[in-house]
Amino acid sequence: MEDVQVVAMLVRRCIAGDAAAWEEIVQTYNRRIYNICYRFAGSSDDAQDLTQEVFIKMYRTLSSYDSSKGAFVTWVTTITRNLLVDHFRKTKQDRMTDSMDTTASDHEDAQPLSEQIPDQSAPPDTHVRQREVSETVHQALGKLSPELREAVILRDLQDMDYKEIASVLRVPEGTVKSRINRGRAELARLLQRTYRQVM
Amino acid sequence: MPDHTKNGMQCNEFDLLLTDFMDEVLTGAALDRFQAHARTCSACGPLLAEAQAGRNWLKGLTEVEPPASLVNNILASTTGVDTQRLRTPAASHQPKVSWWEQVQASFLEPFWGMVRQPRFAMSFGMAFFALSVGLTVAGVKPADLKEISLRPSAIRHTYYNTQAKLVRYFDNSRRVLELQAAIRVVKRNMTPPAEPGKKQKNRNNNDTSQQPEQKQERNYSQSGEQLIMASAQLGPSLRDLPVVTVTTYRRFV
Repeated sequence: MEDVQVVAMLVRRCIAGDAAAWEEIVQTYNRRIYNICYRFAGSSDDAQDLTQEVFIKMYRTLSSYDSSKGAFVTWVTTITRNLLVDHFRKTKQDRMTDSMDTTASDHEDAQPLSEQIPDQSAPPDTHVRQREVSETVHQALGKLSPELREAVILRDLQDMDYKEIASVLRVPEGTVKSRINRGRAELARLLQRTYRQVM
Repeated sequence: MPDHTKNGMQCNEFDLLLTDFMDEVLTGAALDRFQAHARTCSACGPLLAEAQAGRNWLKGLTEVEPPASLVNNILASTTGVDTQRLRTPAASHQPKVSWWEQVQASFLEPFWGMVRQPRFAMSFGMAFFALSVGLTVAGVKPADLKEISLRPSAIRHTYYNTQAKLVRYFDNSRRVLELQAAIRVVKRNMTPPAEPGKKQKNRNNNDTSQQPEQKQERNYSQSGEQLIMASAQLGPSLRDLPVVTVTTYRRFV
């Protein structure tokens, strides 16, 4: 949890022109923002570009942050989410033309999802297998609808509470919970289908 | 999701309590009713299983490490943003920069950097040579340049002086021309008039430059009526012979 007072002071210093304060904010939040972007966008390159865009936007609008309206992390996540939505809209046409078998991952060779499922009968190495499973889940996550994906990412990967997620997504808490449930279930169905094909 | 009621719980309520159940915050009678509904409802039971499985898959996803260059890239990309913003409030505390330093920073330094390039060295050398030769021819001495003052009042004074000199020069020139014209009139009045006929005759004989060239007949016959195709100087024996006129016809094929 972030210390509200410390963050508020950091933001004030940053607005006053303290470059060190800005660097501290970047150091503190870059990992979190990069991970949200990576899990949502699917590729490392896109995640890097989006993270930079988030920080540029953040810096330009830092003076508009009001600590009485919510936590700084919620504000940062809202900016990130808005940029991700913009990015999703921009790249919608590209995705529609992509083959269903095309992977967007940078950490694996370009292979269809079904070909990336590890051979469970003879795992060569636990670490490698774990990485492959993670990659498969990451691929499946990318196939969820954006509404379900963002809810699941914020809850299960970023450990945000429902109220914060509702604030970021600007939907009621009940809707957030429903999206999380449906997102998790849809992900499980996708992965079960994938493994069934391999079996 | 179908809105069925089983074990005193509707499927919509089950959906809302599902997250609480998975977060392990559901207790007491609500938990019992929830579990009973999951066992009996054909839609909610599988949903619970899939949601649990999905969450377990997601738990396996660890945080990815951002690229090492990311922080530097972010700071570099925001540096362009912040330099302008950060300098604005600090500008009032900076010492005042003189106009010469501003000129030096904005114009002379880039110019000097360009001049130092080898490809421009010869061009600038030639330009300097031409300028120095031009100034020498014009009579400008380098020592005179030291006396030039660039203060605004001095520049204004020089401007008015130069303007006054120019006005005086053209005024004097006009007077000289008027004087010359007056002398010319006096000379013309003092000279006696020459005889017009003689003068005209002489002009006709000698001076032909003002007259148009007279048109000359450029055919090779003496007159237009006689046609002599060839002639030779006749000797004494040939003078008695009759002149034979020869006409040739060219045959066109």
